[in-house]
Amino acid sequence: MAKHQSSPQSASSQGANSQDANHTLEPFFVLHKAQLQATVVEKVSKSRKGRKKGIESSPKSPEKSKRTTSDEQPSNTLYEQWRFKAFNEIWSLIQSSIEGVLRDINLKLFNEVLQWIEDSFSEIKSNVKLSSSEILQPYPLLADTLCRKIPTAFVLTKNAEFVDDIQTFCDLGSHLKANRCHVANMSALDFSLKFGIGGSVRSLLRQLHSEPLDGKIADMLTLAKWYCEEENNDKPIVVMIDDMECCNADVLGNFITMLSEWVMKIPIFFIMGVATTIEAPKNMLPSDALQHLNPCKLTLGTPSDRMNSLVESVLVKVCYCFSLGHEVSVFLRNYFLRHDGTITSFISALKLACSKHFSLESVSFLGLYMLDQDSEERWSEKFVYLPESMKRCVLNLHSCKSEKNLQGGVGSIVQQLSDLKASQRFWSSVVLCLFEVARYSKMQFLDIFCEATDPKMYCMNGSENSLKKHFRCGDKNSTARSSSGVGSITRVIHTIREMPVAALSNLLDKWNNHTEEMTEINEEVKKLQSVLASVDEGKVYEENLHNIRNRKSVSVISGKGNSANEKVAMLLDAMIRKYMKPLECMTLHEIICFRDVDVLQSGLIGDPRKTIQLDLLKCHSSLSCSCCSSDAKNLSPSMHDTSIMYKLAQEFGDVINLYEWYQSFKTVLTSSSQTSRKKGRPSPASKKAKPLPPSETEALIQARFCGAVTELQISGLLRMPTKRRPDFIQRIAFGL
Amino acid sequence: MAPKRKKVEVEEEEARAQVEVEEEDEEEEELAFSRNYFLAKEVGSASGKRSAARKVSEINLVDEQLLRASLSELPTKHEKEIGSLLESYKGLYSNWLFELRCGFGLLMYGFGSKKAFLEDFASSTLTSYTVVVINGYLASVNLKQVMTTIAEILWEHYKCKAKISTGKKQQTQLPNGLKSVDDIVTFIVDISDDCNCSVCLLIHNIDGPALRDPDSQQHLARVSCCSCICLVASIDHVNAPLLWDKKMAYTQFKWSWHHVPTFVPYKVEGLFNPLILFSSGHVQTTKTALVVLQSLTPNAQSVFRVLAEFQLANEKEEGMHVSELYTKCREQFLVSSQVTLNAHLTEFKDHKLVKMRRHSDGQDCLHIPLPTNALEKLLQELV
Repeated sequence: MAKHQSSPQSASSQGANSQDANHTLEPFFVLHKAQLQATVVEKVSKSRKGRKKGIESSPKSPEKSKRTTSDEQPSNTLYEQWRFKAFNEIWSLIQSSIEGVLRDINLKLFNEVLQWIEDSFSEIKSNVKLSSSEILQPYPLLADTLCRKIPTAFVLTKNAEFVDDIQTFCDLGSHLKANRCHVANMSALDFSLKFGIGGSVRSLLRQLHSEPLDGKIADMLTLAKWYCEEENNDKPIVVMIDDMECCNADVLGNFITMLSEWVMKIPIFFIMGVATTIEAPKNMLPSDALQHLNPCKLTLGTPSDRMNSLVESVLVKVCYCFSLGHEVSVFLRNYFLRHDGTITSFISALKLACSKHFSLESVSFLGLYMLDQDSEERWSEKFVYLPESMKRCVLNLHSCKSEKNLQGGVGSIVQQLSDLKASQRFWSSVVLCLFEVARYSKMQFLDIFCEATDPKMYCMNGSENSLKKHFRCGDKNSTARSSSGVGSITRVIHTIREMPVAALSNLLDKWNNHTEEMTEINEEVKKLQSVLASVDEGKVYEENLHNIRNRKSVSVISGKGNSANEKVAMLLDAMIRKYMKPLECMTLHEIICFRDVDVLQSGLIGDPRKTIQLDLLKCHSSLSCSCCSSDAKNLSPSMHDTSIMYKLAQEFGDVINLYEWYQSFKTVLTSSSQTSRKKGRPSPASKKAKPLPPSETEALIQARFCGAVTELQISGLLRMPTKRRPDFIQRIAFGL
Repeated sequence: MAPKRKKVEVEEEEARAQVEVEEEDEEEEELAFSRNYFLAKEVGSASGKRSAARKVSEINLVDEQLLRASLSELPTKHEKEIGSLLESYKGLYSNWLFELRCGFGLLMYGFGSKKAFLEDFASSTLTSYTVVVINGYLASVNLKQVMTTIAEILWEHYKCKAKISTGKKQQTQLPNGLKSVDDIVTFIVDISDDCNCSVCLLIHNIDGPALRDPDSQQHLARVSCCSCICLVASIDHVNAPLLWDKKMAYTQFKWSWHHVPTFVPYKVEGLFNPLILFSSGHVQTTKTALVVLQSLTPNAQSVFRVLAEFQLANEKEEGMHVSELYTKCREQFLVSSQVTLNAHLTEFKDHKLVKMRRHSDGQDCLHIPLPTNALEKLLQELV
C-alpha cells in the first residue's frame, strides 16, 4: 500500500486540474485552489475580530447589497448572505454574553486566588531577600525546611467532565497575567511518562519565555537566569495545572520536589485543578512531594449555577432576535441533564440550533432588526424592496395562515413583527421575575424556562378559572411535579407565599427593575413595596420558615388570604396571565424561533452505530425502490448485496460460519431468480443479463460475497477470521 | 557441547509451542467471553457446532483472477435510486456551506461510499476555498506531508500579505526548524490568523487506518480550530466517534453530523482489503509458500520436496523423523552433512513452511502445516 506515496510538492503542483482517477490512490491532493473573490469575506466572518467588526458595520450592509440589486430579482445567494450576516451578529452577541457571564461567575474565585497569591508573595518577600548572584547559585540555600514549601491552591472543579474547566483556567491565567503574575498554563500532557520531568521543565520554560528556547538547556538554572532579568523579577510565578489527577504521579511528584529546592530563590505558586475531592492529591502524590506543598482549598461554581446564569442572560435576556421553541428547550434541558452535564456541549448545541435556524428558515434575516431601536422603520424599508416571492414566504409561515389581518399588506406584517418584539420583551421581563424567586428557592432556571416556553401551558392558562385550577392542582401535586420539571412555575408561586418579608421586599426591588416596561405591573409593584414598608416588620421577621408554613395552612383554612405574600403571588399570577405569552403562540414567531428538534438532534448526536445498521437492515426506506420488498424480513436478490448479507448475519450467533453464510447468500441470489424465471417475471437486476456459464455465475456470486464482506468490514460490523478459526467471522454489533 | 545445545533448542521449541497454545487459549477465552456477554441465552453449544462446521475450502472457489475481474465489473444495484438519492443531497449543499461558514465541521456518515459525492460538493460549492483532499482510507497517508502542504498554502498567502504591508520580499521557503508534525501544526496555528485565505480539508475516512491513532487525531483537531481552516470529513466505521473526547468534539472539530447514506459501493476504500474467500485457509498459504520456496536454492527446494512427498505418501503419519529426512537427502546428494540440513530446516521453520512436532515415539519429527490438496498443488507449481 505504501507504494503510492506522493510528495507535497507534487500534490500541490497538480492543483486544479485534478479529478483524475489516479487521485483515488494518492494519499492526498489539492482538489482546487480558492477563487479569490470570496476568501476575504469568509475570513472576516470566521475570525472573532471580524465578528466584532461586523457588529458595528453590518446592519447597513444588507441594505447596501439590497440597493445594488433592487431593480432585479435578488438571488437566493443574496438572502443567504443576509441570513449569514444575521447569524454572525446574533451569535457574536450571544457569545459575548456567554463569555461575560462565565467571566463574572468566576470573578469571585479569580480575585480570591489573586489575593492568596499576593498575601503569600508578600510573606515570602518579607522573609527572604536574595541578590541575583545568590539566586543563580546552582545549589539550594540552607534554611528552615518550612520555607521550602510551595504555596499550592487546590481548586475543586466539582465537575466530572473537565472540558468546561479548560476555559476557566485559561481565563484565570489571563486574569493573573493582567495582575502582575507570570503564568504557565500546563496540562496533564506536560506530565507524561513519555517525556518525563525534562518535558515538564521545557514546557514551563517555553511558556514563561517570550522568545523560543532555541539551543538553551531547559533546566532550573535557565529559569533562575530568566527570573533575574530586570523585567521578570519581583513577580510571582504561577504554575497552573488544570487537571492534576490526569498527570503522571511520579513525574508530577519529581517536578514538585525539584521546584521546592528553588522555591526560596524563585517564588513559585501552584494552582491545581482537582475534579474529585480534596483527598485526591494525598492519595495520588508520593509523600515526599506532598510535604513540599503548602495547600489551600478553593472551589469553583457548580455547572448548575453556571447554567442558571447562562439561561438568564442568553436565553431570556438576548431572546429578541433568536429564541428556542418549547420542544427544543426541553431537548436541550435533557441533553444537559442526561447527556453529559457540560456547559460546553450545551453551548455547542445552542450554536448549532442558531446556525440551523438561519440556514433553514428563509426569512430569518428579518429577526436581526429586532435588535434595533427603530425596528419598525427598518422592517418597512426592507419590505418595500423585498420581491413578492419573499413576501409570500413570510405570509406562508405556518403561524400566518390563520391570521387574516396579515393579508392587509406590508403595514400589517410590520405591525405583527412589532407586536412580536413587544411580546418577547414582556415575556422575558416576567421570566426574569420568576427567576428572582427561583434564585431564592434554589430552583433550576432551565426548568422554569422550559415551562415558560410551553404554548400548551399558555392555552391552559387562557381563562382565569383554568389558571386557578392549574395552580390549585399544583398545590396538591407540587412535589410530584417538581421532580419531572412540570409545575415549576406553580412552585415559584408557592415559594412567594412562604417567603419572609425581608426576602419579599428584596424581591420586589428586583421586580421593580424588571417590570419597568410594563407600567401597569410596575405601579402594582411599587404599591406593594409601600405596603411592605408599612408592615410592622417586628411581627413578621420573627417567623421562621417552619412557622410560616404553619401559618399558611391556617390562613388557607380560615380564609385569610390577603397577606403581603399572597398579594405578591397574585401579582405574579396576573403578570403570567397577561404578559407571559410564549413565543410559539405569536404570529410570525418562525422568524426568530427555532423549533425543529429533529434537525437539531440529528446534527448534534450522530449515532453511526445504530444508523449504519439501520441503513443496511432497512435499505428500502433510503432507496425507496420498486423492486425490493419493503418488508424488512423478506430477502430478494435485487436488494443491495451488503444488505442481504447483513440481514443473513442476524441469523447467526456471535460467530458466522463463512461456508454457511456463503451458501445462504447464494441461495438468496439464485433461488429467487429461479422462481422469478418460473413466474416469467425476471427481476430488474437480471432483466438485461444474458444467461451466464455456471463458472461465471459462480464467480459473480463469489465476487458479490467478497465485496459485501469487505463493505461490512469497512463499516466495522465484522471482525476478520483469525488464523485459528479461518472459517469463522466474528460479529461485532448486536442489536441496535 | 552439542547435546547441550540441542537440549536448549528443544527447550526453546517447547517454550514456543507453549506460548502458541496459551495464545490460542486466550483467543478461545475472549470468544467465549463475548459469547457469554452478548448471547447468554443462545441455545446449544457453539463448540459442538463448530466441530461439525463446514469449511471455506468446501466452497468450489473460482480462480482468484477471475473473481477479481468479476468484482471490478460488478454492476451496481439500484443505480437509478442511488442517483436520485445523491441528487437529493445536492439540494443540501448550500446548507452545508452555511454551516461550514458558521464554524462547524461537517461529519458525514451513513452506509455507502461518500467519496465521489463529497468531492462533487467540494468542486461545485466550496469554490471560495482551497480544497485539500486526504484519502484517509489509504494506509499510506503521511500526515506530516499533508500538514506541510497546508503550511505551504498558508505561507504563500501570508507572504503575499506581508509583502503588501511591508513592501519587502519575503523568503519563499517554509521557515527552517519545522522538523516534526507538531512543529508544523504549531506553525499553521500561529500564522492562520494572519492569512487571507480559506482552506478546506476534505478527509475521506477520518477514521481510516493511517489517521485513527490518537496523535493524528490530535493534530487534525488542532488544525481544525484555525480560523482559516474548515473541515469536511466522512466516517464509515460504526465506532468512529470513540476517536474523539469531548474537548476535541465540542471545542475543536465542532462537528455537525449529517446522515447521508449513499449505498455506492466502497470500490476504492476496499481496494486493498483482502478478499475474504482467498485471505484465509490454504489458498493464501500455498501462494506465500511458493514465493518463499522459489527464492531458495534448488537444493533447499529439493529437501522440501522430499519432506512433502513423504507427507503425501504417509498421510496418517504424524511427521517425518529428522534422521530419516537426513538419510534420504544424503542418498540423493542434496546435503552433505547434518549441519547443511539444519541450515535448510532453520530457513523453513523461520518462514513457517515446516513445523517441529513431538512424535508419539518421543522423537522430534517434521511436518508441513498444509492440507494434502494444497501440498499437491504446491508441488505441481514448484517445478
